Amino acid sequence: MCGGSDLAYNLGYGLSFSQSNMTLVVKRIKIGIAVWMTAVILAAFVLSAATKLPILEQTARNLYFHVPMWFTMMMAYFVSAYFAVQVLRTEDLVWDMKVVEATRIAMLFGVLGMLTGIVWSRFTWFLGTGKWWGSDPKQMMAAVQLLISGAYFVLRSALDNPRLRARISAVYTLFSVVSMIFLLYVLPRLTESLHPGTGGNPAFDKITDPTMRLVFYPAILGFFGIAWWLFDQRVRLARVEEDTEGFYIQ
Amino acid sequence: MPHTTQTHSKLRYWFNGAYAVFEKDVRLELRSRYALNMLLMFIASTLFLVVVSLGNEVIGTRVQAALVWVILLFGSVIGLGRGFVSEVDQGTVLLLQLHTRGSMVYAGKLAFNIVLLFLLNVLALGAFLLLMNISVENLWQLALVLFLGTLGLSGTTTLLAAMIARTRNSGPLLAVLAFPLLIPLLMSVVAATNTILLNGGWERIQETCVTLVAFAGSVISASVLLFDYVWRE
Repeated sequence: MCGGSDLAYNLGYGLSFSQSNMTLVVKRIKIGIAVWMTAVILAAFVLSAATKLPILEQTARNLYFHVPMWFTMMMAYFVSAYFAVQVLRTEDLVWDMKVVEATRIAMLFGVLGMLTGIVWSRFTWFLGTGKWWGSDPKQMMAAVQLLISGAYFVLRSALDNPRLRARISAVYTLFSVVSMIFLLYVLPRLTESLHPGTGGNPAFDKITDPTMRLVFYPAILGFFGIAWWLFDQRVRLARVEEDTEGFYIQ
Repeated sequence: MPHTTQTHSKLRYWFNGAYAVFEKDVRLELRSRYALNMLLMFIASTLFLVVVSLGNEVIGTRVQAALVWVILLFGSVIGLGRGFVSEVDQGTVLLLQLHTRGSMVYAGKLAFNIVLLFLLNVLALGAFLLLMNISVENLWQLALVLFLGTLGLSGTTTLLAAMIARTRNSGPLLAVLAFPLLIPLLMSVVAATNTILLNGGWERIQETCVTLVAFAGSVISASVLLFDYVWRE
């Protein structure tokens, strides 16, 4: 559409001095994230703080992966809502691209978080019952979030005009935020939860070993970093595709 | 005071525009009776399907509430989906865009949807109670929950219906878009209906009613803010 002629469009892989400098900084941050996450994963499997509790035993290590995945999903979702506001404000298709990629990241981490959660709950909460799915509020919320992301992509595929597609799908993202906020409010009142800190369960910091938190909080940061890395790569790829193909393949 | 008269006439102008859209929709509906007949038939046949598949089985109040609300949800999504698609089909979108402001169109359509849906929901719920042999003591509580649920349902589907009118072959798309957003509403109304069927008392559904009012209020406010982006070219 735009053919990539204007400068703002090319930001990120241009060749001017300040931009290549910027690329170098981004590269260093990415190396930092890789080192950071390697350390987190090593610590997650090496430190032995988490193995004392009955039933939970070694599975407690899943805390370092499962919970940060949810945080990453929610963050990516709210970031996509911010980009959606920018789409409506500026009508610039670059923002639309970012909404798509942020939603995609939210979906990816949502699926990962759900898989790790389902397996974890099957062998701890539902040990001996054979249950895979107990309608836990947090589980339901994640499922609804995945449905919303799925609906978002279905809606996009039904729209041909790029500007209209950007606008209408941005409206859907923002409209879904209203519903999500209500879900956050309604769910704990109407369903019971086994998660810490909800439904009369002790809060997270009361039942979690302090040494576990030494890995848990860095793990959250690391997962946010990975999400940003993936997002950055996807957006750059989308821009290259747009320049070479002449249009943006969603 | 000239300023107040001006504001007053502006408000009046807006209200007249919204009412004109509403009146137009009512007239068209009374002329063709398409949405009304289709929804009646949909709800009648779905209810009958439920009754036939259940046989003589006695089901709990929770299942009753869940069944009736899932039927109402599907019915409304099918019935309200045509609201804006018909304008596109008849080529009247441009006319509306020229003569009225977006907010007027939204208000008119929303009012029409609320009236249509509430009418149908009352009929559907009544038929359901009759067919399932359920007696309810607090009918006005049920009516209140039904009305508040209808407000939220119409508020959500009206904006989405305007969105799908911009897509090609928009058939079942509205259900895909609307159901995830309607989950908080569905959970609240099913819980409230269950309490009413169990004769749980006003105190226990009070909080749910407040939630439903807040849900309807926020989806309608969000729709008013977002409608122009969907409506204008």
